[in-house]
Amino acid sequence: MPLLDLREVTRDYKLGNTIVRALRGLDINIEPGEIVAIMGPSGSGKSTLMHILGCLDVPTSGTAQIEGTEIHSMSERQLVALRGRKIGFVFQTFNLMQTLSAQQNVELPMIFQGIRKKERARRAKELLEKVGLGDRIQHRPNELSGGERQRVAIARALANNPEILLADEPTGNLDSESGATILELLRKLSADDGKTVIIVTHDPDAAAIAGRIIRLHDGHVTEDKRQPTGGFQNAAFATGTAADGGDAHA
Amino acid sequence: MLRDFFMLAARSITHRKMRSWLTVIGVFIGITAVVALISIGLGLDQTIKNQVEKVFGVDTFVLMSENAFGPRQHAGGTAEEYSLDLQYLKSIAGVKVAAAVRQRTGFVQGPAKADGTRTQGFLPVMGLSTELTSEFQSFTGEIKAQPGGRLFAAGDDNVAILGADTATRLGAKVGDSITVGGANDKELTLTVIGILVADDATTGNANGGGFSADSMGQNADTVYVPYDTMDSLWGEGEDVLVTLVRIDPGQDVDEVANRVEAALRARGSKLSAVTYTDISDTIGTITSTLSAFLAGIAGIALLVGGVGVMNTMFTSVLERTKEIGVMKAVGAKNGHILTIFLIESGLMGLVGGIVGTLLGLGLSVLASTFIGRFFGVDMAVVVSPALILITLFGSFSLGAFAGLWPAWRASRLPVVDSLRYE
Repeated sequence: MPLLDLREVTRDYKLGNTIVRALRGLDINIEPGEIVAIMGPSGSGKSTLMHILGCLDVPTSGTAQIEGTEIHSMSERQLVALRGRKIGFVFQTFNLMQTLSAQQNVELPMIFQGIRKKERARRAKELLEKVGLGDRIQHRPNELSGGERQRVAIARALANNPEILLADEPTGNLDSESGATILELLRKLSADDGKTVIIVTHDPDAAAIAGRIIRLHDGHVTEDKRQPTGGFQNAAFATGTAADGGDAHA
Repeated sequence: MLRDFFMLAARSITHRKMRSWLTVIGVFIGITAVVALISIGLGLDQTIKNQVEKVFGVDTFVLMSENAFGPRQHAGGTAEEYSLDLQYLKSIAGVKVAAAVRQRTGFVQGPAKADGTRTQGFLPVMGLSTELTSEFQSFTGEIKAQPGGRLFAAGDDNVAILGADTATRLGAKVGDSITVGGANDKELTLTVIGILVADDATTGNANGGGFSADSMGQNADTVYVPYDTMDSLWGEGEDVLVTLVRIDPGQDVDEVANRVEAALRARGSKLSAVTYTDISDTIGTITSTLSAFLAGIAGIALLVGGVGVMNTMFTSVLERTKEIGVMKAVGAKNGHILTIFLIESGLMGLVGGIVGTLLGLGLSVLASTFIGRFFGVDMAVVVSPALILITLFGSFSLGAFAGLWPAWRASRLPVVDSLRYE
């Protein structure tokens, strides 16, 4: 059974008086453990697709199933619970809480799941170490570089040990070196931990780590191509590790 | 989880220091006003009750004309008079001591002068139980006879004490004789045993209390005689101004007062018994009305503070739209968002409440001292734990309530829209 299964999905939304048809009948299914890059020009429906894949939004028509369950049939409450457990989000602009330390940011999703403080702290530290920020757990976002912030965001996305990581332009606000660190981290999460990673991106480097590239145009899938995985290993940064990505500290 | 929400809310408050403080100031001005005014009101109430208690004690009540303490009270302030059988009153169970004051106008002749003439005229004659000055000092205040004279003592009859003016006008000294004419051409010759110290020397006694007997010291043109002498001159009649009754130890003052009132009314005395409780209740009604009025005014200030919190929370929701979207994306339920924002606004209310309560109490202490000095009274300072608790709880609720709508709106934002918000 596919992890995510979209059939004939359309999504319309109102922008003022006009109806924007963001998705016009998509068939996509994503298997567990895949790295999928969703590419396409602005306005092609990438973000809308990502919102539906992330259960943040429901299709106007068609079916969207996660592990065989139709998301349309779920209540708001069930969707929230599902997101909390199954899906981790990584945003282009990081979207960390400026008022909280790195550790507290990582703990946030666990707070909403009602996990005890001790367990949260332990896990948050573990995750921050995993993304190579073991020495910066008490720093606030404004004391971290862009690459470090995105790594905190990835640690946050992993907080509840979700099966799916959804990254929306994760390298869009980063220099190429920091971006490479982030991509390597995502690749390893898939390779080592079996996470399903979906990356919405313009970045050819990001597409290079994906085993599958889905191209969108005007709300249609124009290309859905599998490629040999680990393409990224051939890139210049192949030997670097996630832990010392070499970001310039702010 | 709630503790974590408190942490999140507190972080966000301290992150926006300036705005949070301005909001808090809006709240605490209102709270300060409410706490200060209510505390001053309570202090005033307590002070007056203390004074009444000091005068009355818990074992004394007053018999007044049934109209004197009621709605038909005379505009001029002179109480109507009533008749009284003092001996019968003293015999009622539970009564320990009773002292009455009655007043008539009598034809008074001074002592013979060197040329044999006597100054004469109609003067107020007041009959006082001898117990009045010995047993009920708290009511009469300090009454002093001029050197060489004395006040009434038990068993005195056919004697008189003169007000300072009367003595001068009649040309009487201690030891002289005066004559007083009563009912039915009855005439008695009375020996002057004392002359009161003039007005301005005896008044100005701040702690004399509300009932400080203007019946004596201040009426310098009056002739005072013992109650028995009054009886001999006029007999029993509707001329009693006031009667003070002290009860036996262990008796309940309201119970005895009711019994006495009923017994005397049955005998035709148009009087009513007034106890400490009656007066306290009346005063309580007045002061609580005053307090409610003041609190109402302060409440308006509080309302303004509440609107301030609401405004801040609305701004806060708007500028954190994206943050709310992110929180929802990472698993926050609508209820979580609502709770966090409610705690945030509630905390601002609470901080305002704490600061306001402290300032309000300080202000009431200052004001009490000032009022006390001004009126020469020992103002009670009341720090009411109930008031403090209610205020703190209330200010948290005020904040939370003001934040309710913004918080609700925050929680209802569609997550996709909030994530797109820039």
